Amino acid sequence: MPKASIVITTRNRPQLLPRAIDSALASGSDVEVVVVDDASSDETAEICQSFGGLNYVRVERNQGVAGARNLGLIASSGEYIGFLDDDDVRLAGSLDRQIAVLEQNSQAALIYGQAIAEDPSGKQHEPYPSDCPQGDIFWELLTGNFIPCGSAVFRRACLSRVGLLDDAIPGIDDWDLWVRIAEIYPIMAIETPVMRWRQSTPRSGQGSSPTVDLIGLSRKWFREHWLELPRLQSASRAKQRAAWRSFSRNVSEHLVWEACNALGKGKLGHARKSALNLLRLHPAGLLGVLQRWTSTATLVTLLASAVRRDDPANAKAHFKRIRSSRTGR
Amino acid sequence: MPKVSLIIPTHDRPQLLPRAVDSARAAGTDVEIIVIDDASTDETAAVCRNLDNIKYVRAERNQGVAGARNIGIFQSTARYIAFLDDDDLRLPGSLDVQVAALEANPDAGFVCGAMIMADQNYQPTGEVVHPRRGGDVFWELLELEFPVMPLCTLIRKECFLRVGLLNRHLNGIDDWDIFTRIAELYPVLVIETPVGIYRQPTPFSGQGSSARAVQLRGAARHQLKLLRLPRATSASSSQRRGARQRMLNRIAENLLWKAAHYLPEGKFGPAYANVSVALRLNPLSAVRPGAYKKLVKNLIMKTRVFKA
Repeated sequence: MPKASIVITTRNRPQLLPRAIDSALASGSDVEVVVVDDASSDETAEICQSFGGLNYVRVERNQGVAGARNLGLIASSGEYIGFLDDDDVRLAGSLDRQIAVLEQNSQAALIYGQAIAEDPSGKQHEPYPSDCPQGDIFWELLTGNFIPCGSAVFRRACLSRVGLLDDAIPGIDDWDLWVRIAEIYPIMAIETPVMRWRQSTPRSGQGSSPTVDLIGLSRKWFREHWLELPRLQSASRAKQRAAWRSFSRNVSEHLVWEACNALGKGKLGHARKSALNLLRLHPAGLLGVLQRWTSTATLVTLLASAVRRDDPANAKAHFKRIRSSRTGR
Repeated sequence: MPKVSLIIPTHDRPQLLPRAVDSARAAGTDVEIIVIDDASTDETAAVCRNLDNIKYVRAERNQGVAGARNIGIFQSTARYIAFLDDDDLRLPGSLDVQVAALEANPDAGFVCGAMIMADQNYQPTGEVVHPRRGGDVFWELLELEFPVMPLCTLIRKECFLRVGLLNRHLNGIDDWDIFTRIAELYPVLVIETPVGIYRQPTPFSGQGSSARAVQLRGAARHQLKLLRLPRATSASSSQRRGARQRMLNRIAENLLWKAAHYLPEGKFGPAYANVSVALRLNPLSAVRPGAYKKLVKNLIMKTRVFKA
């Protein structure tokens, strides 16, 4: 039985898939690669056949990312499991390094690492997240998802205790799982890059309005499900309110960011959509953001990025640094 | 590696569970019994410690029946999957019979046996539910004409990998959904021998009965969504229309029948809920003579029970 399994879900992207599979095979010494072909209608099957020793799962009815990942979990047999998207790349040896740390900490259930964003031109950005909190990170995770999905490696045993992925929330299914794991287990991290993220064409218009939709979805999920988690339920009222406040502040910052960015790029429609969503989702959040954003440092960053038409990812990372130094994390 | 994984989800019923596990042990020779303790808050864990030869899996957060079954599939190591509720029983040797049937028919997705109905004390009521016929039963399942329960089936695990897991958000009807999705791609096998004892819930206990009407409405909505499966969309539009109508008739009949039971007992609230949902689903159902077929049939059966 292999030590670790990497679950790669794919749909109609045969040109990207081999790179992901190769990187997964090279990431650990005893790794099983499970490819879940989510009802692709092209030559994905033949490509997978050309690789020897893959655990290839063909799904006949499209399941979406979360459903396909769940099927990969069921087909896998490793004691440690990680996910990888078909357009991402794991760095060589990264899986072994993470498992070694996880094995030394028998209490921890999950270890994540940093991801390097890479745009289509091949330019690489600085690793995200810039600081990797460890231990009991339940409350931080409720604020925002800073665990790159492909960088996480978790124990098989912990899934039975917290449940599989929820396929009703495509896009935030991984965040939801991390939250549920962090609720009962400590989390580890290594502050080195373990994967490369292929960024979609920056702000191509598609791919950006889903961000706004995802924010709406996560807000709904937070209210209906995360607030019901026993750990939150047993916390004090003040703590619950603080968790909700920091979540909505984070969400509104994202939306403000989206709106400013779209404005800078002259995409008035998208800017308006983000701003309207912000008002609809969280009117009070806007005040909080304004309060925090009127500091000169922030304005300078924003202006600089708008004027130089800087890369969003780069400026965003820069902005994150300012924010984390201000909140004193 | 065992041949069959028998998955028993349980939640706060430690007094019933051991009996179900014992029946599972006698049901087959090469069975792995997986008990999923769905976040029980009582002594279920202690009771399970005293049961030998089971795989005990504790879910810390309540997953619901479908979620717990999914965890069971995740934990299973066998090629065949069977589900058992903690208050139902498997008959001795039944799993071996079903394994033999599936092995003799490598195309079939699942095998369905007969089911003995019992009351709250596991005493058979005399009613035995037989599956109708095997083969391609996709349309029958879609129209709810094929009585199938998780209790009486044995499923090939690879089916889940091709059609997906149980839907956690379909409370109480996740089994209709998964069997329809499997039958879309696989033929179904039928055996006439009874394989399980179904402990019927107390008939018309009154509480939760308007909730049941609401649940049936949700079920109907979901069942209509199943008409979007590729197999159904590629069928002729008259067949789809017919299937849709028969499915709605059936659900409406069921609701009206329940309402007819509530009225004489003075339960006007649930009766109203049932009728209104039935009319909303299918406004013509009230004037269709067929709608009362079930009611009449049931009245006859009831008098029979009284005589006995």
